[in-house]
Amino acid sequence: MTFLGRDALEVDALVTDRYLESLLAGHAPVPGDGRGGAMLDREVRFAAHRLGLDLPHFYPSFRFEERLGRRLADLAASLRFPAAAGAEGVVIPFGGIGPGGVDPATADLLDELAGFDDPRRPGRPLLIGGAITSAALSLAGVAWVAWRRNHPAATPMARAIRAVNAARTRLA
Amino acid sequence: MEAARRDPSQFDALYRRYLAQVYSFAYYELGDHHAAEDATERTFLSALANIHRFEERARPADGDGASTFRVWLFRIARNAIANQRRTVRRRPTAPIEAAAIVADPLDVEGDAVRREEGSAAWLAVGRQPTDRRRALILRFVDEMSTAEIAGVMGRSEGAIRVLIHRALRSVGRDLRGRSR
Repeated sequence: MTFLGRDALEVDALVTDRYLESLLAGHAPVPGDGRGGAMLDREVRFAAHRLGLDLPHFYPSFRFEERLGRRLADLAASLRFPAAAGAEGVVIPFGGIGPGGVDPATADLLDELAGFDDPRRPGRPLLIGGAITSAALSLAGVAWVAWRRNHPAATPMARAIRAVNAARTRLA
Repeated sequence: MEAARRDPSQFDALYRRYLAQVYSFAYYELGDHHAAEDATERTFLSALANIHRFEERARPADGDGASTFRVWLFRIARNAIANQRRTVRRRPTAPIEAAAIVADPLDVEGDAVRREEGSAAWLAVGRQPTDRRRALILRFVDEMSTAEIAGVMGRSEGAIRVLIHRALRSVGRDLRGRSR
């Protein structure tokens, strides 16, 4: 490749990089709407849009998450330095059930999923690996709700069901 | 991050925050849930055991809360995945039928189209050479910046930009060619 050719490639790559920053932040125009991205390679824009929308996120099974959490807690306990005399404090359980009855793991998961619910960003599938344990709030349920909120139902019946559910939640 | 380095019991917050990202990365690389779980487990156990060695490289100019912890963690993950791959000898070829687990029961037709598009995108990425595929996954699934990907893959930012640009051009041609 010539010196000029390499320069041109680096400039194109820089333009692509800026476009991806916008796309992944939810600000980039979609292909074919006639706005922006004029300098961008057509194939690059097409692929970026498809991958940004279609590549799914994966999540391990709840059972795996909790098992590994316990292993890490055991390891952390063995790594902790002994407290100096007079420096003993309250020990907060690692990954335990909180006093409010909300499992911190579930709370964190909801926080994590909230990131998928950003209206500026295109929704995409979230897949869960392995078996799901039965729990008061199942991971699949949480994932489905998050996914569903990104994909408003198209049918009048579906919209009606959602409206009733929303009203029930408010009353509760 | 600092809290976890001083007191390993604080590592739980980091674990919960990055678990899905590491697992996704491993799953795309290994194409098997069990292998991905093994690699994820090794990654976090190794990170916790070595957390005292982590050096924060973020500068104040990088912004509030900026940290290079994720880059450090993903470098560990990359090694764990390489070890796991030597064990299982598999390529990321898993189908996307598992998407049904979060499918919308009210939009069966739309889900079918979406799954098909997702499969096509996934397969097109899977047909890329390893370094291109890895860069795309880190960019689009883990949503890392170019600087972070450069840190994980041990290359310059310029090299990563060119790698991703070429990979996207190739994936775009692939997707268009197969949809005709």
